[in-house]
Amino acid sequence: MATATKKPQTPWRVSTQAPAKKKKSQKAPDGAVVKSLNGNWGYLFTAPFVVMFLVFGLAPVVYSVYIAFFQWDPLDMTHTFVGIANFQRVVADDQFWLAVRNTFSIWALSTFPQMLMAIALANVLRNPRLKFKTFWRTMLLVPNITSVLAVAIVFGQLFSRDFGLVNLAREWLGMPNHINFVSETIPGHIAIATMITWRWLGYNALIFLAAMLAVPNELYEAAAIDGASSWRQFTNVTLPGIRNTITFVLVVGTIGGLQVFAEPLTLAGGESGGDSRQFSTLTLFLFEQAHMGNWGYAATIGIMITFIVLIISGINFFFTRRIANGENVQ
Amino acid sequence: MNIFKDPVLLVFSLLGLGLVTWLVFYYLDKTRWRKVSPWSYIVLSVMVIISAFPFYWMFIVASNGNEEISKNPPTLVPGGRFLILMGHVFDAAPTFGLSILNTIFVGTTIAVAQVIFSAIAGFAFAKLNFKGRKFLVLFVIGTMMLPSQLGIIPLFMIVNNLGWGSTLTAIVVPALVTAFGVFWMRQIIDAQIPNELLEAASIDGAGVIRVFRSVVLPIIAQSSFVLGLFAFLGTWNDFLWPLLILNDPNQFTVQVAVNQLSASYTIDYALVLGGAFLATAPLLLLFILVGRQLVSGVMDGAVKG
Amino acid sequence: MKKLIARVAATAVALALPLSMVAPAHATAAPVTISVWTYGNVIEPQALIDYKKIHPEITIQLKKSGLDAHHQSLITSFLANKTPDIAAVEVSYSGYFRSYPQYFTDLRQAPYNSGSIQSNYLPWRWAQGVGYEGTVFGIPTDVGGMEVAYRTDLFKAHGLPTDRTKVGKLWPTWDAFFNTGKLYQKHLSKAEKASCTKLKVCYGFIDNAGTVYNAVLNQGTQKYYQNDGTKDGKLIYATNPQVSKAFQTTANALASGVGTNINSFTNDWNVGMNKGIFATILAPAWMMDYIKQQAPKTKGKWDIASLPGGGGNLGGSQLTIPKSAAHKSQAWDFIKWYLSPAEQLAIFKKYGLFPSTSVLYNNPALKNYKDPFFNNAPVGAIYGASVQTLHPIYEGKKERAIDNIIGQALSRVGLKKQSAAAAWAQALNEIKNAVG
Repeated sequence: MATATKKPQTPWRVSTQAPAKKKKSQKAPDGAVVKSLNGNWGYLFTAPFVVMFLVFGLAPVVYSVYIAFFQWDPLDMTHTFVGIANFQRVVADDQFWLAVRNTFSIWALSTFPQMLMAIALANVLRNPRLKFKTFWRTMLLVPNITSVLAVAIVFGQLFSRDFGLVNLAREWLGMPNHINFVSETIPGHIAIATMITWRWLGYNALIFLAAMLAVPNELYEAAAIDGASSWRQFTNVTLPGIRNTITFVLVVGTIGGLQVFAEPLTLAGGESGGDSRQFSTLTLFLFEQAHMGNWGYAATIGIMITFIVLIISGINFFFTRRIANGENVQ
Repeated sequence: MNIFKDPVLLVFSLLGLGLVTWLVFYYLDKTRWRKVSPWSYIVLSVMVIISAFPFYWMFIVASNGNEEISKNPPTLVPGGRFLILMGHVFDAAPTFGLSILNTIFVGTTIAVAQVIFSAIAGFAFAKLNFKGRKFLVLFVIGTMMLPSQLGIIPLFMIVNNLGWGSTLTAIVVPALVTAFGVFWMRQIIDAQIPNELLEAASIDGAGVIRVFRSVVLPIIAQSSFVLGLFAFLGTWNDFLWPLLILNDPNQFTVQVAVNQLSASYTIDYALVLGGAFLATAPLLLLFILVGRQLVSGVMDGAVKG
Repeated sequence: MKKLIARVAATAVALALPLSMVAPAHATAAPVTISVWTYGNVIEPQALIDYKKIHPEITIQLKKSGLDAHHQSLITSFLANKTPDIAAVEVSYSGYFRSYPQYFTDLRQAPYNSGSIQSNYLPWRWAQGVGYEGTVFGIPTDVGGMEVAYRTDLFKAHGLPTDRTKVGKLWPTWDAFFNTGKLYQKHLSKAEKASCTKLKVCYGFIDNAGTVYNAVLNQGTQKYYQNDGTKDGKLIYATNPQVSKAFQTTANALASGVGTNINSFTNDWNVGMNKGIFATILAPAWMMDYIKQQAPKTKGKWDIASLPGGGGNLGGSQLTIPKSAAHKSQAWDFIKWYLSPAEQLAIFKKYGLFPSTSVLYNNPALKNYKDPFFNNAPVGAIYGASVQTLHPIYEGKKERAIDNIIGQALSRVGLKKQSAAAAWAQALNEIKNAVG
């Protein structure tokens, strides 16, 4: 958070996770500490993190909250205090709400199909008799290490209107009318979602694969003895087993989705996000305003993004708890 | 016309996706324990081709030049101009090689530091009993939610006030710790190290440092490696912050160097993608060497629980 | 495993080779390194090589970014008081920086005495580097004089004359230009028409009629701001008839369907140039080099005719010395040398960047310069005549943002998403929100 460094996503299992019941007793319940170790070392061990984080992570955030109360053109010597005017402006700003809409549309288009495909892929990879397992798994991670900058340019070429490979391929498949991904809203969102899906599909497939492998075989055997079809085995055994992982992927996907930036910027070719602002996501909107010299307003948008993330995380937390509880009842 | 076309397109693609997914589930589940359906290999091969395509495309463009890819339909086989183009890349960004070295240096430093700081802090948060622990854990989780763009401008001011403007220090120091890394290590330590093990060690008379070194470290070595790798990859591909803060071409990181290749009015695609290829190649090499560990690392956090 | 090692070794060699190529090989007395920030090709690489010969003790560090990224980094560097020695400022941003001359060295003062070289340059280009209160903060580089680049082969195939004087006479005004376009469209072949109805890949007279906007706007004397002596200037975008005229003219052009709606510098544009999808481009001088690079096979098929309604301009930069630059005198030496008539002539010949140094315009070397790529058009004389017809035009503070908003509005008109009137109203509204 201190920098714009890309955060790797990694799964965690919510500790109420149930399927591996036998293992549970071996594991310390979440939050239990080792009493016999001298706790005072904790201050020392956490000090580097806390100090550095306060300076480079939190202080900038606090400062931008301060800026949000000003009309702040960066090169001006003095800045005008405007109270909550920026906040009043943002709630009434059509462009802001358009950015919210775009962000969520792209998020939905990139998250749900990707989840389905990732689970399907994981299911393919799960087969113990599959050959070249490591090769497949490794190759699926390649998109994740390719630079966003380069990928954005490549996809920009693929999706161009007249001579992009995507439209040429559609033509070849008998769909001659070329889609203008750059000017039409939904096709454009689909194009952006494709870039995001391309980057994260393999990664999430591996996460689902890991979760599937953790589901004990006995459960499948028991289901088979009960005469359950393989589809039912999947819905009754596999799906509940990876439920928390699904939640996890959703949460992380949401946080990442709200920060979508490079992909729409490339496709739109500018920070204003296309002729009807159809690719103006929240982060892009923030940068656009900052680059117009409206730093105060840009900071306000940043705070609004934070609120949205918090609300969504809250909702997610609520659902996770409910799912976990539901599982216990089951 | 468009109003009807868009949602139809959307619904169809979603339906298509759903159908493919269902088919895959259906056939693969059916044959799960007996044999691998040939469909598995077809699906996987298609995925691998799609995954590698942009990288391949960079090479095609870089080895053919602009004129060739401007053909319709474009060339899909590599041409013979790759070395010439690499020459152009080094003409346009003479310090490109240095940038790669810089990035390796910066990435390694950040990776090592993140692993160390995250491991000790994660260990403390997971296993040590001290005041404020619970609050700090909540604080860490909370800050993970903050969008990184929020503080980028003030951070710029802070770093410059410290006198680090336009130096690699400005890249390294703010990235030494991340809330994510600490949280990740906490989860790993919590999940992988039973309290009994630590208690046994401390009853034998080992202090906290020794327990950490001889009990905790060996267990989390693999996960640490993966965390470090991710930090390295993240640093390698980061460009927003370095572009903002770095001025001296001798200090550029590799993504900033690639950015040098794209001009304002005009983008020379062959040049930019050639540079991007050059910038990604070392990473791919690293990936070939440690991909197996990376894969198991990604899956690690999910399996244990 | 052997394979792997071979692969590793091969890559290592590939990486090491260029590294050894860039090893520094200079060692002279009192070396100075000056840092230069630019975007694009404001400073051409050949210039650095030439300067090294004259001043071996000076090393020039070039940092290039995209147009917007470059100017944003410049702003942040001002805030941090950590600036380069020389910074390029493009015309679309010079309006912004002229509101903040305190961040630049005033070049009127000794030892720079910019007044002594002022007469070398086009007056209206010089004015773009003058702060709101009269400070000279930048010296003009090239001028983006604008003409019409057209394809003689396509003109011939579509029933139009090919000789550049005859072609120029076809369109004394913008309306005549669009009417010529309609004539061209009438002669589209069956296959070309079918491509449009079937594939929606449409052939057209001009690449994008939207580019007309800036050409028309720059033919006036005022844009969005008026210089009233204050830092921020006075906003006149809503009342200036030149702005609405430029918008209307462009909207009409878009409605007449003579353009392909392909945006400049996109992938489609590059391909379209090679394939002859469009026959004309409104081309600033610096674009000639781009056309040569992107479509080398079209050599000799292009020609240059004059722009409707007089001269035109797009782009151009000033070189500035930020106030907190560390090596001001060396920076000034370089600027004076690089922007001198002699060096600008050399740059023009090599890269096609048209000099702002008006003293050159009667120089035979420039005047008689013919470009074989453009059918031996006397590009020096044509562009020289064009840029001299323009008037000084005040670039305002947030011009870049306003340009973007109007560009989007015109784009919507071109794609038939909105009527011209609705797009104009929305644009005015958005500009009001953005700049007040």
